Amino acid sequence: MLGNKIGVISCSGEECLGGTISRLAVRKMMEELKPGMVSTLCLPLFIAGDGGEREFAEKYPTIAVDGCSKCCAKRAIEKYSNAVAGSVDVAEIIGAAKALEKPLSTRNLTDEHMEYVKQTADKTCQIFDEIIAKK
Amino acid sequence: MSKIKVIPCSGIGKVFGLLARESVLMVTSEKCPNDTETLCLAHVVTGDDEVVGKIKGETCITMDGCAKYCAKKSVEETGGIVVKSHKVPDFMKAHRGEEHGSGTALTDDGWKYAEELAEILVEDVKEIKAEVN
Repeated sequence: MLGNKIGVISCSGEECLGGTISRLAVRKMMEELKPGMVSTLCLPLFIAGDGGEREFAEKYPTIAVDGCSKCCAKRAIEKYSNAVAGSVDVAEIIGAAKALEKPLSTRNLTDEHMEYVKQTADKTCQIFDEIIAKK
Repeated sequence: MSKIKVIPCSGIGKVFGLLARESVLMVTSEKCPNDTETLCLAHVVTGDDEVVGKIKGETCITMDGCAKYCAKKSVEETGGIVVKSHKVPDFMKAHRGEEHGSGTALTDDGWKYAEELAEILVEDVKEIKAEVN
């Protein structure tokens, strides 16, 4: 059982809505959908390389959740650790134009935004379940 | 002068990252939208030519959530000039005992603290602009 030995890294991008969605989707996974079953890693700390994050992603399956098609989280994991076990691009779920809208404070979230979060979290959980099923 | 870059760490594990993120969004979206902008730290750390072009030699302020100083270090490594650097826990003394929320959502006390952090950033912006003028 891999248990909490599956990593999830969101880009948490500050320039666009997709970054907010990616962040909240990973938090939803941690708190509601797969509590205690995933390890989330800070992307900047992962890239800085001094927190053990890179070693984690080398050893264990890691999923990237990116807010736009630049796919910074996915590229970072593949550059510094290993091939990702799966990746989610919020822009593919909600559309590129929507994903690139202005960044959003969590106090301004609407039901529509929360639906985007749910769809992104569900997609990430689907990848998570596929990884578990293969083991 | 071009807009001052204000960049938070947005760390995902604890409330400090969200406090950093929300305080910066208050500044760049509401309090000083004409003088400031933010950049994706995730993009900054990739070192892509596109983002290096945006940040190299530019005046930057960073707000980090912990002592790892990921935002400050990453901006500096990418060529940004960090003229002011802060860490969320540095201002906690007056807020001991308060519950600020989690990495997902802030409480009322958390929003008040984020507002206070945002005002610190606004003062930085005023100071930087005054030095330029």
